[in-house]
Amino acid sequence: MNSKKKHAWLTSNQMILVYIIAVFSLIVGIRQPAFWDFATVLNTMRAAIFTMCFALCEMIVIISGGIDVSFPAIGCVAMYVPMYIINRVAPIDNAWFAFGLAILIGLAFGLLNGFLVAILNLPPLIATLATSSIASGGVVTILGTREFTVLPSSLQAIYNTNLITYTSPKTGFQYVLNILVLVPIIVCLLIAWMLKYTMLGRGLYVIGGNKTAARVAGFNVKKLQFAAYVWSGVFVGVAAMIYNILMHSATTSALMGDEMITIAACVIGGVRITGGHGGVGGVVLSVILITLVQNNLNMLGIPTSWQRFVVGIVLLLGTIITSWQTKRSMKMSQA
Amino acid sequence: MSLKPHTVQKPYGVSSVKKERPGQNMGNEENKVFLKLKGIKKSFGGVHALRGVDLEIREGEIHCLAGENGCGKSTLIKAISGVHEPDEGEIWINGEKVEHMKPIDAINRGIQVIYQDFAVFPNLTVAENIALNGEVKDRKKFVNWKEIHQIAERGMAQVGAELDPDMPLEQLPVAGKQMVAICRAIVNDAKLLILDEPTTALTEKEVGKLWEVLRGLKKKGIAIMIVNHKLDEIYQIADSLTILRNGKYISSGKISEYNDARFMKDMTGRDLVETKYDPELSDEEVFRVDHLTLKGRFEDVSFSMNKGDILGLTGLLGSGRGEIGEALFGITPPESGDIYMNGKKIEIHSVADAIKNKIGYVPEDRLTQGLFMERSIEDNTIASSIRDYFHGMSLNEKEMREASERWLKDLSIAAPSIDPPVRTLSGGNAQKVVIAKWLNTHPRLFILNGPTVGVDVGAKAEIHEILRGLAKQGIGIIIISDDLPELLQNCNKIVIMNKGKVRLVTDNKIDKLSL
Amino acid sequence: MKKKTASKKLNDHIKVLMLMMVFVLILMAVLKGPVYYSVNNFRSMIFQFPEYGVLSFGMMVCMIAGGIDLSLVGIMNLGGVVCALLIKSAGVPIPLACLASVAVGAGCGALNGLIIGSLDIPAMLVTLCGLEVYSGLALAITGGPAINGMSDSFKNIANGSFGSIPYVLFIFIGVLIVVAFIMKHTVFGHEVYFLGSNKQAARYSGINTLRTTILAHTMSGILGGISGIIITSHLNSAKSSNGSTYTLLSLLIVVLGGINPDGGGGTVAGVTFSIVLLQLIANAFTIMHAPDTLKTLVNGCLLVAALILDKVMQKREMQKNS
Repeated sequence: MNSKKKHAWLTSNQMILVYIIAVFSLIVGIRQPAFWDFATVLNTMRAAIFTMCFALCEMIVIISGGIDVSFPAIGCVAMYVPMYIINRVAPIDNAWFAFGLAILIGLAFGLLNGFLVAILNLPPLIATLATSSIASGGVVTILGTREFTVLPSSLQAIYNTNLITYTSPKTGFQYVLNILVLVPIIVCLLIAWMLKYTMLGRGLYVIGGNKTAARVAGFNVKKLQFAAYVWSGVFVGVAAMIYNILMHSATTSALMGDEMITIAACVIGGVRITGGHGGVGGVVLSVILITLVQNNLNMLGIPTSWQRFVVGIVLLLGTIITSWQTKRSMKMSQA
Repeated sequence: MSLKPHTVQKPYGVSSVKKERPGQNMGNEENKVFLKLKGIKKSFGGVHALRGVDLEIREGEIHCLAGENGCGKSTLIKAISGVHEPDEGEIWINGEKVEHMKPIDAINRGIQVIYQDFAVFPNLTVAENIALNGEVKDRKKFVNWKEIHQIAERGMAQVGAELDPDMPLEQLPVAGKQMVAICRAIVNDAKLLILDEPTTALTEKEVGKLWEVLRGLKKKGIAIMIVNHKLDEIYQIADSLTILRNGKYISSGKISEYNDARFMKDMTGRDLVETKYDPELSDEEVFRVDHLTLKGRFEDVSFSMNKGDILGLTGLLGSGRGEIGEALFGITPPESGDIYMNGKKIEIHSVADAIKNKIGYVPEDRLTQGLFMERSIEDNTIASSIRDYFHGMSLNEKEMREASERWLKDLSIAAPSIDPPVRTLSGGNAQKVVIAKWLNTHPRLFILNGPTVGVDVGAKAEIHEILRGLAKQGIGIIIISDDLPELLQNCNKIVIMNKGKVRLVTDNKIDKLSL
Repeated sequence: MKKKTASKKLNDHIKVLMLMMVFVLILMAVLKGPVYYSVNNFRSMIFQFPEYGVLSFGMMVCMIAGGIDLSLVGIMNLGGVVCALLIKSAGVPIPLACLASVAVGAGCGALNGLIIGSLDIPAMLVTLCGLEVYSGLALAITGGPAINGMSDSFKNIANGSFGSIPYVLFIFIGVLIVVAFIMKHTVFGHEVYFLGSNKQAARYSGINTLRTTILAHTMSGILGGISGIIITSHLNSAKSSNGSTYTLLSLLIVVLGGINPDGGGGTVAGVTFSIVLLQLIANAFTIMHAPDTLKTLVNGCLLVAALILDKVMQKREMQKNS
């Protein structure tokens, strides 16, 4: 029994991700010894911030049995509108205002998603697609497509606050890690706790597993669905503002298309697309893996123009392996 | 909310002495009546599902509710559990008359129903599945895993189930899921446990374990109602019996008051002998299998059928009865053995092979395997024979319509036309559509797995009549069923399977109904 | 003749679409009559819609089969890039290059279908990754910049016309007829519907589900390849990021056209009406000098409206039945 459990743990989805990360690092490290540097950790963390944030949104929705492809559009609106107001309407130089408005916008579209899915019972993919076009179409029509590249000083101050400053002894370059990296880290911990130790978290798994049974058991299915989409909207608002601060750029299309890689990251991290499965741990590992691959293909000598293809293949393989894993664990039990 | 499932509450002052004499009081009259139904009537849009049903279940008693498919058993359960409010009649629970009962009222009064799908969460662990419903009812905000484990352990100890509490439920076999559902009902203070056809998906060994568990619960004073129609199982477990037929209460009493003949008569309303299928015997062989084997499913199965024969294939779940059907139809092809159709050897490696050799198969699960619920009757009828209508360049719509209309008439499917989606049909008519689908392929061998599950009595008789007609035309008919009376009535040859092997091949003259 | 309920419901849907079309047409007659109702305007509309119209049929086939094809735009661009490259760098004759584009599309679609069918992975996931793979491959082939400046005769495919009727209209109608024929009058077409409405029952009815899945996605891929040719010719440029809004647009079209998102339902006629309706609306916006993005907003709202309308009609039908 115990050895069986140990075996199951060693071949679990998360451990497989750890192996792949290790092997990939080893390969890159052998080709480019410069990889073995603390700077790699900092670079990876910095690059992973956004994917991690988005994955935290998507993960909750998928666990609840839905899917959200509207978060890039919501994010774009959530960072564009505050920046538009600050730059063109009233120079409110206040980080609370910027984040607050971003969250409010996220909340509004999250509620719309929740309404479409939970109340009107529309298929989540289609419903969030609609929200996506309403969000991005609406904001661009009203506010136009500009790009704001100058941050107000309050946001600039956040940009200038670094958590870690590190000078590589090998290259002499300086690497910094912005304080905002704490946001996904803290939220990861909170979500992990929420999913495991609150009825809200268990409820999300429950409705993702069997909606009818959830209703019979007395769970408020609609409320839980709302919670998932609202969370996704709210947190993507925060994430988009972080993007704006770190990238010095707010446009109406900056995040568009990110839903693809985010969904793939969730699935590879063990969040089953059919709902009810997965957790923060796997998603973190999967985001690390994807970020490592994206960041270090250059080091492997793969030309830039081939990188999207390679990442695509990695995602495809990851998805196939995950599905195969799932099927295997189901089959093991039947035996 | 108290979590003290050890003490089964006896709020009406019944002395606990009686409870201390477990095992002695099977169906004892002294035991308090927990549930009493009087003249329950319920109809749906003019269809009388229940026409006056009386029922009495006592504490510490295992009561069996029996009847053919479509007799109103499920409607009755729904009335007891508050899902449907009866049109007429009285429900008394624990000596108190209950009116306008909602599902939550039934649960609060200790009525727990375990449906065939168990309503469990496959993605959660055993412990959570057992404990979570209670936690929700208590409006908990946070999850105390220690408590969850304690509740689960307690529930399992009471029931006598041994499961790994941290095992995800989807990794358990059906019997395990059922145990979890029982544990959950018990930790939620069940006083009456209703199990809807609990043995259909269990193997013989698992059935034994289930009986053991239920007997344990009985000793704890819990009332148990089992919906079942398998006589041998009823003999094994039940203290008393109520038989319904066509929505009507027929008879009720202690199990000792019944014998095979009375049981059959009450169930079907007919004496068995009169209606038995008795074809003219012929030596013209239609179908034969020799030493058919699929490892792990069935082994060395041989039988043969002559013209006019209807062959019944029965046995418990896991005995190989369904597996043979799926094998002959190529879903899970046999590994070895020979199959002869009209004396000619045929090979079956896939569904395509089976269809090419004119084998039709009505699967057990009509809704998920047999029908396209959203498509029209026409589409469903021609689904397996559509290739026959492709002439030259395109499909011949007219021929397809004509064929469907012919079957609609020939099988007297109650539908205004061939165009409504199958979703709108009743169980019996939907099953006739499945049959029409295969008849339209002009099969030489027609295998039906549970042909009358969820079919009302009238349609059931019609379906049997259709099958007899087909057999007379020389089409080989194999009925796979666990409904022994059905087989005895309609088959002139019965193959009884046990643990993957043929245990007995017999005619329909046997009078002992037990397997 | 007896009324068909299945087709009656569909007629209801098409009726709504036609009503919306009439509404747009009348509205535009009132607002911008002379400009809207000019030969030139209708010609410009016809030049626009075939590329995403053909794409939508691909999406339609996959959705009827119970799946979805999010990789269509990737296939389209890969096909376009291959076609352009063959013409420009290898000097392959245009028909052959077009055939290559279609073949590439078929290959990509078959791969999608193979993975979906044999490994039983949701189509959404597979095609999502497929989009990255095919777009990535297109990007890798071009190396980044677009491939421009193909011969005039290639440009003419999507920009030339026969009299005042653009060639692409013929292409579109040709595709429409073939797709409609396949879906309605062939065994495969019916099998796609069966597969989409109940995969297990399809298997138990003797339908080879793997084969049907692969063929459905192959068909979708072929249509992607064809629209790749059209868009490349139209823009006279091939790159990996053309038509990035078309995924959304084609989804919108098929759902608006009455295709059941869960599979198994809907007709080619509905999708065709939906394509035309959206083009009428898009053109109305152009004429009114409304920003392009307003279209996106309106499309989103239309999608929700169409779905809600379906729900309402479904409920009404249920009530009528019971």
